[in-house]
Amino acid sequence: MRLRLPLLIAILSVAFSIGGASLPEQTVWSGLIIATNSPPTEPTPAEVTQIEGTLRKLFGYSQFQLIGEARKTLKTGEEDWLATSKYFSLHVDSRGEKADAYVLNLKLFQEQKLLLETKARLSKASPLVIRGPQVGDGQLVIVLVVQ
Amino acid sequence: MFMKTFEEKWTAWVDDQLTGRELSEFLASLPDRAAAEAEKQNAKQVGSLLRDQAMALSNADFFSHQLRERLDRENVPVRSEVDAMQAGWWTIRRLLWGGITSLAVFAICTVLVFHDRTPSSQSQYLTQILEYRVDPTVSPNATISMFEKKDDHVTVLWVDGLQSLPPEYAAK
Repeated sequence: MRLRLPLLIAILSVAFSIGGASLPEQTVWSGLIIATNSPPTEPTPAEVTQIEGTLRKLFGYSQFQLIGEARKTLKTGEEDWLATSKYFSLHVDSRGEKADAYVLNLKLFQEQKLLLETKARLSKASPLVIRGPQVGDGQLVIVLVVQ
Repeated sequence: MFMKTFEEKWTAWVDDQLTGRELSEFLASLPDRAAAEAEKQNAKQVGSLLRDQAMALSNADFFSHQLRERLDRENVPVRSEVDAMQAGWWTIRRLLWGGITSLAVFAICTVLVFHDRTPSSQSQYLTQILEYRVDPTVSPNATISMFEKKDDHVTVLWVDGLQSLPPEYAAK
């Protein structure tokens, strides 16, 4: 009898702590980046810094300039948003979460022109990098990261 | 006028109210005069005793009320009081336990449901490309490949052959 109350309190505490821990805010950062070898004009954004080494190895460029970005906090997992620069836009349509990842429909536009359409399962622990068109002496790179 | 009953005559005799022919007739009607005289003496003694105690019982109503209340208190069964308290306590305790148990069950169910729905922060899965497509009329020479850099934990969609653009397209 006397053990029941502490036992129930323990169960409730564990349940609520697990419940609280299992509901973190999920934010997806999407960025339009121009990778170049020209001298840096501004500091590399923090979001790019995290994968700067990977981008250097992948594309062979040393500088990464952010030309457009969007940060979306997902509440239902079924939201859509737009990351834009002057000429490019990335439309992201989240279609819910499944198996530790968000299913995203992505559309890359150059002004009104649809350049690329893809569907990806974006994992929290794994950024998505898309190589876009050549721009001047650089390269358009799209990055999506779950924060 | 009316005839007195035996009881009325008896009361009057005890109070020494009978006189004359009425007294002699009443005494003659008694079956056992000695017993009746003894009873009369007893009644007189009780009467005098009550008169002696009349001062002590001047607040008779209040005394009677107090006495009745005390008797009520003492006579109310202690057992039933305890039973009532225990019954109440048990009811409250059961309600309490019921509430706590329900909360626990609700919390566990909530946790299980949300745990299944929420992505784990310790996910080891790489991002997957499920579909990809370029418009062949816009980019007729485009080719797409995808690969995973497992050491960097990155998935790459590599598009070749898109139309090159002038530097002004790098504008923010």
